[in-house]
Amino acid sequence: MTAAQVPWAAWLLFAAPVAAILIGFFGFRRFKPEWTHLPILASCAVVTASAFWLAAHVYTGHSFDLNLFRFAEAGDWAVDFGLRVDGPGVAVLAMVSFVGSLIHLYAAGYMKGDPGFSRFFLVFHLFFLAMIGLLTANNFVQLYLFWELVGVASYLLVGYWFHKETARKAALKAFLTNRVGDFGLLLAVLLIVLQFKITHFHLLYLKAASGATFELLPVIGFLLVWAACAKSAQFPLYFWLPDAMEGPTPTSALMHAATMVTAGVFLLVRSWPLISLVEGLPHLIAWIGAVTALGAAVVAGTKKDLKRILAYSTVSHLGLMMLALGLGQIATALFHLIVHGFFKAALFLCAGNIAHALHQPTANVDDVGGLQKSMRLTYLSFLLAALSLAGVFPLGGFFSKDAILDAAWHHGGALAVMGMLVAAGSAFYIFRMLFLAFYGARPEQKQAPHAHEAEPILGVPVLFLALGAAAAGLLKEPVERFVLMGWRGMPSGLAGLDLVLNLPGEPVLPHLNMTVAVLGTAMAALGAFAAWRLTMSDPGFDWRWRGGAAEAVFESDFGWKTLVDAFVRGVSRLAGFTGRVLDKGGVDGAVEGSAGFVRAAGAAIARSAQGRINDYLWWMLAGTAILLLRVLR
Amino acid sequence: MNAPLTMLWLTPLAGAAVCAFLARYGALFFSMLFAGLVAGVACGQSSGGVLSVVNELGPVWAYGISYRLSADSLSIGLIALTAFLNLICVAASWELEVPAGYWACFMALASALTGVFLARDLFFFYVFWEATLIPMFFIIGLWGSSNRLHAAVKFFLFTFAGSVFMLLALLALVSAHHRITGVWTWDLAALDATTLGPVAPLVFWGLIAGFAVKIPMFPLHTWLPDAHTEAPAAGSVMLAGVMLKMGVYGLLRVALPLFPTLSFEALPILGGLAAFSTIYGALCAMAQTDLKRMIAYSSIAHLGFCLLGVLSRTSQGLTGGTLQLINHGLTTGALFLMVGFLYERAHKRGLSDFGDLATRAPYLAFFFGFSTLASIGLPGLNGFVGEFMALSGALSVLPILAFAGVLGVTLAAAYALPAFQAVFWAPAGPGSVSAKVTDLNRRERAVLWTLSLLMLWIGLAPRPWLAYFEPALRGLVR
Repeated sequence: MTAAQVPWAAWLLFAAPVAAILIGFFGFRRFKPEWTHLPILASCAVVTASAFWLAAHVYTGHSFDLNLFRFAEAGDWAVDFGLRVDGPGVAVLAMVSFVGSLIHLYAAGYMKGDPGFSRFFLVFHLFFLAMIGLLTANNFVQLYLFWELVGVASYLLVGYWFHKETARKAALKAFLTNRVGDFGLLLAVLLIVLQFKITHFHLLYLKAASGATFELLPVIGFLLVWAACAKSAQFPLYFWLPDAMEGPTPTSALMHAATMVTAGVFLLVRSWPLISLVEGLPHLIAWIGAVTALGAAVVAGTKKDLKRILAYSTVSHLGLMMLALGLGQIATALFHLIVHGFFKAALFLCAGNIAHALHQPTANVDDVGGLQKSMRLTYLSFLLAALSLAGVFPLGGFFSKDAILDAAWHHGGALAVMGMLVAAGSAFYIFRMLFLAFYGARPEQKQAPHAHEAEPILGVPVLFLALGAAAAGLLKEPVERFVLMGWRGMPSGLAGLDLVLNLPGEPVLPHLNMTVAVLGTAMAALGAFAAWRLTMSDPGFDWRWRGGAAEAVFESDFGWKTLVDAFVRGVSRLAGFTGRVLDKGGVDGAVEGSAGFVRAAGAAIARSAQGRINDYLWWMLAGTAILLLRVLR
Repeated sequence: MNAPLTMLWLTPLAGAAVCAFLARYGALFFSMLFAGLVAGVACGQSSGGVLSVVNELGPVWAYGISYRLSADSLSIGLIALTAFLNLICVAASWELEVPAGYWACFMALASALTGVFLARDLFFFYVFWEATLIPMFFIIGLWGSSNRLHAAVKFFLFTFAGSVFMLLALLALVSAHHRITGVWTWDLAALDATTLGPVAPLVFWGLIAGFAVKIPMFPLHTWLPDAHTEAPAAGSVMLAGVMLKMGVYGLLRVALPLFPTLSFEALPILGGLAAFSTIYGALCAMAQTDLKRMIAYSSIAHLGFCLLGVLSRTSQGLTGGTLQLINHGLTTGALFLMVGFLYERAHKRGLSDFGDLATRAPYLAFFFGFSTLASIGLPGLNGFVGEFMALSGALSVLPILAFAGVLGVTLAAAYALPAFQAVFWAPAGPGSVSAKVTDLNRRERAVLWTLSLLMLWIGLAPRPWLAYFEPALRGLVR
């Protein structure tokens, strides 16, 4: 296969966003900033159409993978860049482009009139472009490139309202935490280059599965998991995500549903053939996922800010995906990723509509209740998405969550129990949110006067997303097929992996298991009932427990945030010490003639540069004499 | 034009003389002429698809001192960087009210730097090497900011002290060579250090001392923050952009070829210091409250990556480390220029002196943000390519060094972004001088567009750049 045979749609995936950003940046931003979204929305349409076309193309057996150009080269060291349009990539790509485009449309209404409208759209689209690149990369260096670009775009979007201190802090926190994760990815990529001499995914898979032992593989695998933990907000690096809701709501929706947090899960899917070869690593992933899912579900049930509840919910659901991955259920993980994309985007945008109706950047459960009557469309969308999230039959979330619970159930032990608890926890927090925001106004709530339904440009995309969340269960079979195709051979001359690779666990989705389905539904019902008890039958409960010791525990995420803050303070103190004490007083002090250090270190070089010509000449003389003596002797 | 290489270093020198009368117009004309000449030599060199080495031989004098110039792609690459940044500096300082001497100093500096990169006779190498100090001393001392005299003297003495070790090493090398072979020569290609015996380590470490001060490598770096901070913006650009590169160039040209085994045995020490520099520079940069000082410390970290790559003596390490020299020149050059623009407008440099500049000066914010991202190694921009290849080289030789280096990459964001936020995002505090800051004018934007597009080009398609340097470095691969 040559570059000329690459379908047009694949080129358009990049050409359209790049063109839109350039036109927007050089044209509209200068002359008509309030129109910047026009080329970008057009690009969204093109990208979505292309992505669906490619999905169909791949579905009919035409996946491809080819190197397009040599990025860097020195001696026998080289890195090629290319395109990989295969099952897993294109499955996520179709969801990302569809959901992402709807969010773009929503943003056009939501951000209207904001002074930074043009900047917002350009960076927003860059975010989208970065994710497209990440999903179609065919090697680790290219993936790292887009991975970082995703990080930068999210930084700029979270810090979009940079006049707010919280926004600046959240942006920095998001970027630096991700940077800590990137430490893992960069090192992993470097080690892959060292160990395998190639970074191309498919060739790596084949090489890793060739039976030879690669002693660095465990380290590489572990570092990849570390990187995924940062990007996909898993314990111990999840803490940036809840703060990242400081960005405008469309940013949160895009970030949580489509373009950012899914990247970590996708990285693990991409590197699964490597990770699965490392003894115990899948198990570690499963445990990370289970612990994160459960912890975040509990914390989500205690939050007040609507977006913050959803943010912890995302952390929890990403944990479920990790759990599925760790149990070898790659297709299940991707399926849940796709379903989650729909319902989480819908939920965030509903929260955005509520905030919009109240003319606030964000909304709180204290602000308003009983929106059911005044915001019918938003209510309906929220309800659909919430039921899907809680895993109510026959909505999308039921199928994907059930598949994960089933995998955990078959694994048995603590993971099975934790899976069931997460199911109950998810239902609890989402129903609590539903009841508090949409039902029976409570005396404790402020009752903003005229909450009104949003205009159509804000309502319709949300409804589509909610309908998607409801119907996403139908995608189960296709996703399963897509994932299987990812391991198959490519017409472009790459051997199939299903023959050489002994992948642990069937990538095929488990069939519906009655026990698990009933049990999972019962757990969800239990969670929903608990939420009803505590919000509807005892309407003031949510206000009574606040302020106590329990809140302190939940606010600090069981103490983990306190530890992280202490660590950050430690690093910044170390920097202060290095810069002010060690360098200024110590090293430079020696040079500038700080007598104390000169006595202590006695570094000859420091003395000679003290600024006293005499000393300096003596040293020169002495040095010359010694050398001459040695040389001329 | 029979002697293109001599013309190469004489042109800016002639420019320096002309500047005395024509000031900035002379500087502009001769900078362009110089850049054109470099481009001509580079084209002539790479015609026919093969990179050739241009040589020039002059007379031989007493003690074997000879006028001997040569230009491979490494030399021409660095001279091109010199010519390019020189032109950028002239354009960036165009509206400064400075005497003719300012322009003359820059042209003289370019001339001396070109000489360093061309000379293949160690005597001339040393003469050019020291000659660079004189114009830079005046640039800092005469046109610097408040504490300029202290910084200029410190810069001069510190780096001069370093070069004295280098001179002693060179003297020892040449005389030992004479003792053994009976031939006086300063010719780099003819000198053979492998027969030196016990003197060899002394010579090697003497050379290293000279180069390490220039690079600068921890713990010989403390002249740098002062000199960079006090120098005028264009002075900082030349200082960081080209003069620091002399140290790495010296390693590549003199120390590594002369002492192939010794330099490899010293890898744990030198590489360790380089890797430590990346972390140490980043930590120090985090603690700074002066924008220019912060960038100065970041230079120490960046040069650490160059060194890691070069010292690894692998193909990717050497090429990536060398590309990183260019990258650092462009990125840090752009950052220093912008701090200079700020300083010209508001006469302040502190992080807390500004705020809210993203709304007041959006162009400045855009370019500063862009360069900051390039500086912290965002893939897709130039810094990443060099860092990645250098670290890849280091990893294959001494993994712990690469590990430290990756930690340095991680830390880079922790100083660069908070500084960016403090100046551009945070609201202007009381006593802030943000109100004085007007956005970039057309000339300044043109300068920064040029630099930014180059950063993007190297970041997206570094292959031609790597291919250009690779032949000159092939011989150093272990």
